[in-house]
Amino acid sequence: MKRRARRGSSLFGLGIANSLIPVVSAFVIGAIIIAVVGENPWTTYQFMLGQTLFDASGFVKTLHYATPLILTGLAIAVTFKANIFNMGVEGQVLSGAFAAGVVGFTLKGLPAPVHITVCLLVAIAVGMLVALVPAVLKAYFGVNEIVVTLMLNYAIVEILRVLAQTVFRDPTSGYVSTPSVAPSATFTRLFGTSLTLFTPLALVVFVAMYVLFKRSRLGYEITAMGINPGFAEASGMDVRRKIMTIMLISGALSGLAGAGFMLSEKFKYTLDFSGNPGLGWDGMLVALLGGHDPVGIVVAAVLYAALKTGADSISIFSDVPKEITGVIQGLIILLLSIRYFTRTSVVARRRAPTRKSSEEPVRAAQS
Amino acid sequence: MNIVETVGLTRTFGDFVANDGIDLRVAQGEIKAIVGENGAGKSTLMNMLYGLLTPTSGSIRVRGTECTFGSPADAIKAGLGMVHQHFKLVPSLSVWENVVLGIEKRVQTRAGRLPFIDARGQIGEVQAASDRYGMQLDVTATVGDLSIGLKQRVEILKMLYRDVEILILDEPTAVLTPQEVDGLIVTLNELKAQGKTIIVITHKLSEVMQLSDSVTVIKRGHVVADLRTAQTNERELAQLMVGRDVVLTLHRDERDCSGNDVAYQVRGLSTTDEHGKQVLSDIDLDVRRGEVLGIAGVEGNGQSELLKVLTGLMTATHAATTLEGRDLTNAMPTAIREAGVGIIHEDRYQHGLCRELTISENVIAGYHERPDVCRHGLLRPHEIAGKRDRLIEEYDVRVADPDGVVSQLSGGNAQKVIIAREFDAAPKLLIASQPTRGVDVGSIEFIHRKILQLRDAGTAVLLISSELSEIMTLSDRIVVMYKGRIIGEIDDVAHASTTAIGLLMAGIPQTEEVAR
Repeated sequence: MKRRARRGSSLFGLGIANSLIPVVSAFVIGAIIIAVVGENPWTTYQFMLGQTLFDASGFVKTLHYATPLILTGLAIAVTFKANIFNMGVEGQVLSGAFAAGVVGFTLKGLPAPVHITVCLLVAIAVGMLVALVPAVLKAYFGVNEIVVTLMLNYAIVEILRVLAQTVFRDPTSGYVSTPSVAPSATFTRLFGTSLTLFTPLALVVFVAMYVLFKRSRLGYEITAMGINPGFAEASGMDVRRKIMTIMLISGALSGLAGAGFMLSEKFKYTLDFSGNPGLGWDGMLVALLGGHDPVGIVVAAVLYAALKTGADSISIFSDVPKEITGVIQGLIILLLSIRYFTRTSVVARRRAPTRKSSEEPVRAAQS
Repeated sequence: MNIVETVGLTRTFGDFVANDGIDLRVAQGEIKAIVGENGAGKSTLMNMLYGLLTPTSGSIRVRGTECTFGSPADAIKAGLGMVHQHFKLVPSLSVWENVVLGIEKRVQTRAGRLPFIDARGQIGEVQAASDRYGMQLDVTATVGDLSIGLKQRVEILKMLYRDVEILILDEPTAVLTPQEVDGLIVTLNELKAQGKTIIVITHKLSEVMQLSDSVTVIKRGHVVADLRTAQTNERELAQLMVGRDVVLTLHRDERDCSGNDVAYQVRGLSTTDEHGKQVLSDIDLDVRRGEVLGIAGVEGNGQSELLKVLTGLMTATHAATTLEGRDLTNAMPTAIREAGVGIIHEDRYQHGLCRELTISENVIAGYHERPDVCRHGLLRPHEIAGKRDRLIEEYDVRVADPDGVVSQLSGGNAQKVIIAREFDAAPKLLIASQPTRGVDVGSIEFIHRKILQLRDAGTAVLLISSELSEIMTLSDRIVVMYKGRIIGEIDDVAHASTTAIGLLMAGIPQTEEVAR
């Protein structure tokens, strides 16, 4: 009986393995492709990651781009952990960003801290509002939140397009765009780097989310809900209210991510504001890569941002097409969808031998 | 001649030896009982015989030839069939479809076989098989709609339909009424007369005595005794199983609690299931302080629904429920716990515990908002670990790794975690459903004793159990449920007979009995 490892350590190792294998494999396959193109994979990767992770100013830049991804990754993780699927983070990011932009260029004459705070709060509120729709439908009408959140993204993109083309269009711009936010609404760059106060702000949010995940009652309830909803309900957790809470937190984080990106990087809403595939979708990858663990998400966000910014160094320093990063990203997503080791496989191995291996399918038959 | 024989059968999991050199001999045409505590290794042994697990070393011989079973299909081919304690049925299919699943016959015409299943023919066959063994099944009914007891009959029928020579039954009587158990014993004897061999795994020693020819006792992966049933008795078997004397009948202070105040009152409780079918009708219950009210009945007569309604997992269409004067009608689970109700759910791993969470996380479930473990929305890990260690100690939970997950615990110990959690909150009312199902003898005794302690301390206890002996041992008063109603009440438990309650469980009201 003494053989059993502790759950914490071994499941942690499991999560790492599940994230590491896809990443390493993606890089290995990427290397083969680079070699086939006739370039040296090693030097290519050196340019790509050396400039983004192992160079001080490069790393700061990576961190800057990782910031919104940390927030969207957390936004995804908080719902996925509870077995609720907020696929609408992208839409919530965009609406939050748009709202922050509008507040940013319409309000004038405010001191910067106040202006920025107002922008962020409005964005958070808008993100929550957008998340409220699927939350209410799910909690009180049993509507599948995956479908609602997913479809809502398209609706939001179109609504924002119309708004950007008509009411809030910047007449001086040659393409569809809102006016830039006022200087008082922009995050100033710190010490002349690309880093702004948005990054420390996101780290504060990360700490709060870490506590929520690991230490709080809500985190406990989210975990229980995600693993065994029947148990959660029988233990008196009000599942409806939890769904609302979780979705609102997710929406708030998304809104904040969008607003921060707006006020620290883009300054105006354009049709390609969120990039391709978009901060919300990238956040989903980051959350998956990070194993829905707050610390894992930060690591994954940095790595992912490095990959994206590394594309530029590749095109500058080597002849490898920068699309190789897209290939690696795609491979990571593909390989991540394979669960190499599952929690149940480890738990099953550790289970007391008397417990019938058959209990799982059986429960399904009984219900 | 031994039809099934194992030689030095060993199975290890990591460095844990679940079966250590088991030599089992089952003679042709006998009923062999295999007894042992939870975790003794009975199920591991059976799973090896049935091809679900492969032995680490040793061999299995069927009719003298050595066999290796890669899957249950191999075992069935060799004539070994198993009826599991937990069912392996497709709920959305009908009874006959479940029975023929995998060996369906197709429609035969003169031109050859058509690609359609011969429904009519097989419905007839399966119905005939059901009737032959007195299963009383409507083979066209959907399995998902059946009670647990009926589902188990489908399982047994499934194997009988496959003409297996050796039938392994894992805890076959756990869900049956005394009458049905008698029926099953008749069936098993009939099968035996037809030359079939039956291996029964069971906790219930009285049944071992009643039905088996020989009995093998397993303890910690070893065979500790191989006896002729006629030459042993329950007490000896119990002693062999646990290595100490077990008090099979608990001493209980008889005291009159009919004068105590009614703590918990349920009036006119009725409800329907999601299909709109009436599952509970007009249930009235009164539980006094310091009284155990037992609800007896064959499983599937509304007990599960009653539990769900009383614990807030299902709503009643009509009801008035009060605890100490506080209205709890259709209250949320949180409110019910807050009002002082301790709950032991019937499905331990569905509602009572979360297997994948740690013991710490499980011992606070339902009470995780209380200030002793949670302050300002933050959990207090130190206090929680302290509570866990205290409960493990107080409730004698045998645990390898206190920081580990609950799935490491055996059934009895997992149940003790629930008991500890619910009892520690000092409830005013305890609602316990099947509190000792699938639990070893030692733990049963412990759990029963704890329930009586709680009762003696003045808690009202509502006990739902299909285990009649459990109801009779613990209850001050018994009501019997049949088809969602209360069909009878027995106030004088000490002088009640099993037969009388059995008749009520079968739906024959006592007044009628008296009138006859």
